[in-house]
Order: sequence, then structure tokens, then C-alpha cells
Amino acid sequence: MQYSPTLIDHFRNPRNAGVMREPDGVGEEEFTECMDLARFYLRVRDGRVEEARFQAYGCGPTLAACSAGTEIAAGFTLEDLATVPPARIEAAVGGLPPERRHAALVVAGALRAAARDALARNGRR
Amino acid sequence: MNRRVYLDHNASTPVHPEVLQAMLPYFSERFGNPSSVHGFGREARDGMEAGREQIAAFLKVSKDEIVITSGGTESDNLGIKGVAAARRSGHIITSQIEHHAVLRTVQALEQDGFTATYLPVDGHGMVSPADVRAALRPDTIVVSLMGANSEVGTLQPIREIGRITREAGVPLHVDGVQIFGKVPIDVDAFGIDLLSFSGHKIYGPKGVAGLYIRKGTKMASIQHGGEHERRRRAGTENVAGIVGLGKAVEIRAREMAEEAVRLTALRDRLWDGVRGRVEEVRLNGHPTERLPGTCNLCFRNVESESIVLGLDLKGIGVSAGSACTSGNVEPSYVLVAMGIPLDWAMGSVRSSLGHATSAEDIDYVIESVVPLVAKLRTQSPVGAGRP
Repeated sequence: MQYSPTLIDHFRNPRNAGVMREPDGVGEEEFTECMDLARFYLRVRDGRVEEARFQAYGCGPTLAACSAGTEIAAGFTLEDLATVPPARIEAAVGGLPPERRHAALVVAGALRAAARDALARNGRR
Repeated sequence: MNRRVYLDHNASTPVHPEVLQAMLPYFSERFGNPSSVHGFGREARDGMEAGREQIAAFLKVSKDEIVITSGGTESDNLGIKGVAAARRSGHIITSQIEHHAVLRTVQALEQDGFTATYLPVDGHGMVSPADVRAALRPDTIVVSLMGANSEVGTLQPIREIGRITREAGVPLHVDGVQIFGKVPIDVDAFGIDLLSFSGHKIYGPKGVAGLYIRKGTKMASIQHGGEHERRRRAGTENVAGIVGLGKAVEIRAREMAEEAVRLTALRDRLWDGVRGRVEEVRLNGHPTERLPGTCNLCFRNVESESIVLGLDLKGIGVSAGSACTSGNVEPSYVLVAMGIPLDWAMGSVRSSLGHATSAEDIDYVIESVVPLVAKLRTQSPVGAGRP
């Protein structure tokens, strides 16, 4: 199975891994078929994501996609992040083999959930 | 450049240089069909029969009792289906932790009207001889059990089980793919009637394997065509492969005992090195009755494929117990049958050591896996990483 250099780099050097204290939004998604779990924490300022952090349990591509997901999320408006498509995550790790596409699904789902949580806390949804 | 350490010998081994040298002429000047009567055919046949004799000598059996096949899977199929075809109906006993080559063969026979009992194993992955005795029925036609489990390495009590099957007059098939050439096998003392083995697990080539069939065992051919292998397995023989398998067996006979001692020490060095530095790690399989080079560890709350990828990036080749295929993952059925909880079983990693493995390799693996597991746990939302 071939992984892109970008994916390998994110796996080897994960960005923004770990818990965030007092986040403005938290969301997680579990891909029950393979038990992968991604959780994102968001820090929000003026309706935009200032910082994202992640925790994840899963195979290498899922961990790498979480790392890439935190970089993508920064700068997004909450509204846009609440609809971020899996394809955006997949592109951010330089593509995924067909049997690992669930990595993008679980990460996009968790980011969307975190954005929705932040919107709800703000009373905006 | 990273060091490269291959610890997946239970999956496959490199061809031994002496094996390769022995095989080479049979790809070129001694290329004849061993069934041909002319000199070219005789040359090929002589090489093939010499290989068969080396295998027979290793097992201390007659060479007429050795049937060459294309792989361990075919040998398991032939052993079980061959008996079933001769009996046409009946009951089969096997275990829950067999290789798929056995499990799916037995399941296929169930579809054809045979019945089967899948024996449980204990927490070490061992079948109880008492369970074998209790499962025997008047219509039992074969007992098929592995000599050692490929994942956890547990050696089955074949000698005791063989005593029981012999008393009952039921043939015993042993999937010996993981024990052949690694631990001593005495087919008479162990009461083995059928023994499957394979070349590429013992530094021989892929695509060649064998089945020992004790003289007098009721068998029918399951592959039809020519009259090769004394009419028990049709098809032109893989002459170079058989020559290579014979040479590989000859080398194992010479090196096996010393190698077992060396690999056992390295295997234990790996376990001792990891357990002293990693929390929540467990050794799977029997603590002593285990293949010399097999070390299967579970890291709780870490996903095994992420460990395999992390080690791969350090040049280390190990095997994941739970493999994710098309977004669907099942924990190892072997570990589940052993009663290992899911949060442990999902993090199982098998290291299988071999001929070239050194103490420095093992130390490198320990130095690599300890920080990797710590990092993965730091990132994890389950277990210790839960906020």
C-alpha cells in the first residue's frame, strides 16, 4: 500500500496533537466498521477557527488525516467547516488508497461535528 | 538511511543462498519434464527424487509417503479433503484458531454435508487433549490441528492428541507449516498421519510444499489429470522448487537445534526489553510452549496498524494482528478465541524472528517501538489520553 510523502510526514510529525483546554467547540466521529475515532477541539475567534487540535485512535492514515485536518481547519469560518467535505481532507494528505478512504470520512465528520458544537455554543445554530 | 530489520519470518523467509544454487540448474540445463522417458526427463526426475528423499529423511519416513504440492494451503486442502473424499461423509474435528487454509476447507466440507466441531483454546491458545477426546464420535473421519499457531506461536500438544486419535483409529492431520524445520517432529511418536509443510517458511522457495501421508491412510485425489505423485496429486511437478525444498530441509536439519536456542533468547530479549519500558503491554501465546522466534505483543488502546506503519518508517517489518481492509477491521480471530479483550486485541503486533536476526536488530526494535507507542498513546482519545 502506497502512501503519499505528505501523509507520511503528517504521521511522522503530527501537528496539533493532544487535548485543548477550554475549547470553544468539540466534536468527534467514530467509523464503526474499523473502530477509528477522531476528536477535534476548536478555538474560535470572530467566527473563524483560530486553532484546532486533535486526538485519534486508528490506523496511520487516520492519524495523519487528523493532523492535516487541524491545519485545514485553521482560518475556516465555522459555517464553512460545518460542511467540509471528505475530499478536502483526502487532498490535504496527498490522496488515500481506496481501502483507506474512511480516514477522510472520519476526520471530516469530526471536524464538522466540532464546528456545529462551536456554532451551538455561540447560539448561532 | 534507516537500518532494515525484517521480523516477519512466519509470513515468509528469504531463500537461502545454498538453496538458490541448488535450484538454478533446474531452470536451465536440467529443464526436462520429469515424466518424460528420455535423458532430459530423467535428469529432472533424479533431481526431484533427491529432493523428495531429503524431505523423507528429515521426517524419517518413506519417500513414497511424501506428496509434493504447490503450497501449504494446497497441502491442507489435500490432507483434509482427500480423507473426506475417500469417506464421502462424516465428522471432522478442528480448532477455532486454525489457519484459513484449514478453517475454510472444513467449512466448505460442511456445505457438502460433512459435520464439524471447532474446538476452543485456552488463554494461551492451546487446545485441550481432553476436549479432543470428548469431541470424538463414531463417525469422526479426521482430526485436523495446527502444530503451532502462526500468530501467537503456541505449540499444540500434538503428542498427547496423537495418542488419543491413534487409540480411536481416527487419522490426525497436522498443519505443520509453522513447525516444520523449526521444532523437532516425529510423526510416529506424535501419531501424525498427515503432515502439511511448506518451503518458503524455511528459507526455501515459494510455490512448493508437501504433504506427508502415512502409508495406509485412506485418501482420494482431489485434483485430476495425469498420474503424478503416485496418482495423489496430478500436475507436472515443480522440479526446481522440489530441489530447493529438499536443500532447505537439509539445511534446517543441520541448523535447527542451534537456531532454536538462539532465536528463543532473542525472542525473550525483545519481550523483556519492551515490557520493562512500556506500560499496558502483554505477551500473547504460551510463555514457554511457543515457537522459538515468535513474539506477539498487545499494546492496549493502540491500533496495531499504526504501530506497523510507524515501525515500517524506521525500516522494521512486523505484522499487524488486526488489519483494516476497505474500511472494515476485525480483531484477530485467534486472539478473540483466546479470550483477549478487544481494547488489547486491536493493538496486537507480531514479530517473527529468523536466520539473520541479531541482538542489535532486537535492541533497535525496542528503541523504536517504545517511543512510538508512547507517542500514539499521547495522541489517542481512548485510554490514558482521554481528557
